[in-house]
Amino acid sequence: MSEKVAVSLKINGKEVTLLAAPEQNLLRLLRENGYVEVKCGCEEGDCGTCTVLLDGLSVKSCVTPACACEGREVWTAAGVSRQERIGRLLRDNFAKYGASQCGFCTPGMMVTGVNYLMNNGVPDRQAIRAAISGNLCRCTGYKKIIDAIYHTAQELRRETAGEGML
Amino acid sequence: MSEYQVLGVRTPRTDALLEASGQVVYGADIVYPDMLYAAARYSDYAHARILSVDVSEAERSPGVRGVITAKDVPVNRFGYKFQDQPVLADYKVYCKQDAIAVVAADTEAQAQLAAEKIRVEYEPLTPVLDPVEAMKDEVLVQEGSSNVVAHIKLRKGDVGAGFAAADKIVEEELSTQKVEHVPLEPHVALSELRPDGQLVITTSTSRAFAYITQLLKILRMDMTRLRVLTPAVGGAFGGKNDVSLEPWVALLTLKTGRPVKMVFSRKEEFFTTLRHPYRMKYKTGLKRDGAILARKIEIISDSGPYVCLGKDTLTKASVHAAGPYNIPNISVDSYLVYTNSALGGAMRGFGVPQVAFAHEVHTDTIAHELGMDPVEFRRKNLFYDRGEAATGQLLDSRAMRATFERALELEKKSNEGREEPRA
Repeated sequence: MSEKVAVSLKINGKEVTLLAAPEQNLLRLLRENGYVEVKCGCEEGDCGTCTVLLDGLSVKSCVTPACACEGREVWTAAGVSRQERIGRLLRDNFAKYGASQCGFCTPGMMVTGVNYLMNNGVPDRQAIRAAISGNLCRCTGYKKIIDAIYHTAQELRRETAGEGML
Repeated sequence: MSEYQVLGVRTPRTDALLEASGQVVYGADIVYPDMLYAAARYSDYAHARILSVDVSEAERSPGVRGVITAKDVPVNRFGYKFQDQPVLADYKVYCKQDAIAVVAADTEAQAQLAAEKIRVEYEPLTPVLDPVEAMKDEVLVQEGSSNVVAHIKLRKGDVGAGFAAADKIVEEELSTQKVEHVPLEPHVALSELRPDGQLVITTSTSRAFAYITQLLKILRMDMTRLRVLTPAVGGAFGGKNDVSLEPWVALLTLKTGRPVKMVFSRKEEFFTTLRHPYRMKYKTGLKRDGAILARKIEIISDSGPYVCLGKDTLTKASVHAAGPYNIPNISVDSYLVYTNSALGGAMRGFGVPQVAFAHEVHTDTIAHELGMDPVEFRRKNLFYDRGEAATGQLLDSRAMRATFERALELEKKSNEGREEPRA
């Protein structure tokens, strides 16, 4: 067995040091340390349910080496869904528009959705489709997930427009 | 807005906020103190006699706490109606998805490494993978049984007389393929022995009570000693209806006295039940005006090496096979056939999607051959305002008319503004 190495990183705003095996992926490191909101669906970079934000970019944690995350910042679904204002609004809209069924792809969808909205995501269904194209869902047929992100984008845009008038 | 308080009102699910913040607990999220991890050793052949299984090297592998083989299974055949499926392969493997042994170790990696060290000696047998070939019974999948394990017959009226009176006969062969459910959450099961001697199995399933019935028989256990719990399930679609890894973790807990967890990899997920592929023959006798006089159907379902839910899905498929059309004379013969390919089971629609594909393609073919508009042909023959199903069941609802006309409206709407496809 290979020696474990210490990896210092910031998870959901909190500094932590975790022990990772050199061959370990970020997904397993997170789950082993209690961040089980990051789900494992395929562990080969296909399904997207393990998506997290790594320094503000959405990545699939199953194909991200844990040791490469030294000094970096990670946000999971549990973290982003508590964030003002985008995360909480999207979380509430996921519930309002029925965007989750079995719920297993939802943590990854939330992170991808937040990433889209943080990067000036516009209320455009085609653009949202493209943004979530790396996240698979077997239950919903995607429509309600797209609705939730679309309406969040619209609400955020309305707020920004309101501020502009002040 | 609805005029009612409940009807027509959208109600958020009570767990929706928890799901959106990743706070719902699925099987793979559960951790017991002192827990072991299990990994299985699968067959190298689709059909082979097992000469010997040597687990000694695996048992000495680092971190290993226990290995189970067929010898550890109290009753090694299970199934809802046909008890033909082994928990672990004993004297032969029936398909490549059969497991031969399962290892429990301190870590998942140790269990997987040890599973590779199990030595299996085989005498390869000819596999029969094609259901039509299998019907000849030249190679028997299950000893003492014809490969045609069930024949379902449905008869209405007199198809011979119907064909004799027909102006035109249209014949067609159609087939469908295997389909995996691919739930986002792979199968997972945990077991633990409680201090009072109760064995608790926590598993990702849609049918906890069906599992208890099967597991009690497999483990030859008293009902008061066994509990089956289901955590949140990350999608099933019929693929989590059948016992698979549950007896393995249970037996490993009984052997080691420790809690055991097993999570299928995405690859192993494809070893679980699949939608049965059907080979279908349709023959329809018609009047020149488009009235259907008779329909004769033959379905061959590839069950894999066990019956599982194959007979039940095929029965439902046979009832629906003639389609939602008024046909006075119907004959359906359906055959469930053992092969050495992957096991079939329940999946959304339970046999009906296969025949729905066939009867609708066949309907378009008929309309084309009669030179009729396929919509008009359907309006003429559908259970439009009333109908009599293949089983003789009388249908007097107008749901078909409303559904059919609405579907046409929606299709027209979605085509508006779209460019005509170039010829």
